[in-house]
Amino acid sequence: MAEPKLRVLMVSDFFFPNFGGVENHIYYLSQCLLNLGHKVVVMTHAYGNRTGVRYMTGGLKVYYVPWRPFAMQNTFPTVYGTLPIVRTILKRERITVVHGHQAFSTLCHEALMHARTMGYRVVFTDHSLYGFADVGSIHMNKVLQFTLADIDQAICVSHTSKENTVLRSGLSPGKVFMIPNAVDTAMFKPADVRPSSDDVITIVVISRLVYRKGADLLVEVIPEVCRLYPNVRFVVGGDGPKHVRLEEMREKHSLQDRVEMLGAVPHSRVRSVLVTGHIFLNSSLTEAFCIAILEAASCGLLTVSTRVGGVPEVLPDDMVVLAEPDPDDMVRAIEKAISILPSINPEEMHNRMKKLYSWQDVAKRTEIVYDRALKCSNRNLLERLSRFLSCGAWAGKVFCMVMIIDYLLWRLLQFLQPDDDVEEAPDINFCN
Amino acid sequence: MVSSSISNKRYTYIHESESEANREAIDIHHVIINGSRVTGYARLRWLAFFLVALAIIMYFLLGKDNPVRTLSWSCLLSGFFVMIQSRKFVKKESVIIMPTFGIQLETQYLSGKTVSMFIPIGKILKPVLVECVTPVTCYWSLSLFLRGEEQLTLVFKELRPTLKMLVPIWKALCAVIGTDQSEMMTEEEHVVAG
Repeated sequence: MAEPKLRVLMVSDFFFPNFGGVENHIYYLSQCLLNLGHKVVVMTHAYGNRTGVRYMTGGLKVYYVPWRPFAMQNTFPTVYGTLPIVRTILKRERITVVHGHQAFSTLCHEALMHARTMGYRVVFTDHSLYGFADVGSIHMNKVLQFTLADIDQAICVSHTSKENTVLRSGLSPGKVFMIPNAVDTAMFKPADVRPSSDDVITIVVISRLVYRKGADLLVEVIPEVCRLYPNVRFVVGGDGPKHVRLEEMREKHSLQDRVEMLGAVPHSRVRSVLVTGHIFLNSSLTEAFCIAILEAASCGLLTVSTRVGGVPEVLPDDMVVLAEPDPDDMVRAIEKAISILPSINPEEMHNRMKKLYSWQDVAKRTEIVYDRALKCSNRNLLERLSRFLSCGAWAGKVFCMVMIIDYLLWRLLQFLQPDDDVEEAPDINFCN
Repeated sequence: MVSSSISNKRYTYIHESESEANREAIDIHHVIINGSRVTGYARLRWLAFFLVALAIIMYFLLGKDNPVRTLSWSCLLSGFFVMIQSRKFVKKESVIIMPTFGIQLETQYLSGKTVSMFIPIGKILKPVLVECVTPVTCYWSLSLFLRGEEQLTLVFKELRPTLKMLVPIWKALCAVIGTDQSEMMTEEEHVVAG
């Protein structure tokens, strides 16, 4: 068995069996990196009784560390609690690059901090956009500034996201790469027989029914579109706190026969829901990169979306109709989409998506980032501390203290259990 | 008696077999904590006795109003605590394989006490090498799938021998039960290479 080119540890609180954009990104990127001859290991927290080591397709090894999530699928921020297990995994798997995902993930921040203390190369991918004004964002941005102060390279999923990350963290733009998400076009194929748009036009909505995803906009847009177009029906997939508001809207306007509420849709069923429609409606109020519209376009649906975040960068102009996050403008965009619907060819759209977005391309571009990270010079502790000091008058000193303690704890661990005592895990070849 | 061994800083693995040719011979696999550690545990027990003795002397020889006398209670309690803990220290764990009959798992404590568990051959479905993950570390363990039991049974309940030590025991168990070893060849190759 040939020695892997790189040994990558993907770290995030968000991974399967949980479903979402970050989870998909980590999984597909890992699979493609494995195909390119790298060794990839994922580290996440335990999900229910799913703990310990699991193997996924292609020999992707996943460490479900028995730390329980405490809020929004995040592990409790202990700062130093994860140091022993992170060190053990890094040594066991002979890791060369640590790749953290998502600024929300406490496990990601802690693992990157420990990895830098131990002298590993670290890469961070930001999947979201954040504000600057509210208390939560201010706190999050400070944490991000701390994590990115000592990073080798960073990746963002859109140019808007890159701009946002650079502004929030004070990171040099030269260190930040833009690598978009992709879609598994083999999973999202158009229907063999396209539903006719002559008698009924179906508009599909699949998203979590929360404020951020624009569920309140839907409450105002759906009745107006139904009033203007008697042949339009809506299929709404997803669940969340705003589900009740949509149900109330349906009752109030007597749209039970025209608005179908599917509830939570498992990822395996998303394609079968999408292919029943003609138009995909995305009403997000903030989005770094919307994978849902990629999946819809791959299934041959014309997309109507709010012009927010990185959404305008995702699809070519003839595949999407953009609108401001305002009910009237969204209704106008849907009207425009209905008028251009006859000119849409789902098969052609699918083939274009195949060329535009592929995980193989994402993996190759990520590989370049890893190579850049490996070429970065290894800084000593004092050089690294000077970077943290520049993070703020008080914050800088706090960050320095955190890093000094982390360094001392690492040295103590090395004394108690030398590196030679950590048993290396064998590489299991799943290809044969 | 054929014997072979593997050693590292922490443990020594000893394999004893009555004869290599005879497949019906009893096969014994020991994992022993290295001497330095056992000596350390013994020293700990002496420390416990010393603390208890010191506590008694302090209590009876010092005057009633002496503040140091109150220390005697903490010495006494800590001494008893160390003594209780030292009884749990494991010296050796063994796997005795008796073909066509069963396997016996033995744990020998520093105090001299031995705990045994016998598993009939018919109850063992499959021996497996598992990577265990705790909140602070990862290690390999050898476990048994037993008929009619949901939980895996650990072969080594107290000690954590390395994969190099576990593979020969796993192979021996597979041979006795008649399990296919091919699915773990990658690990074995790695061990041989290492």
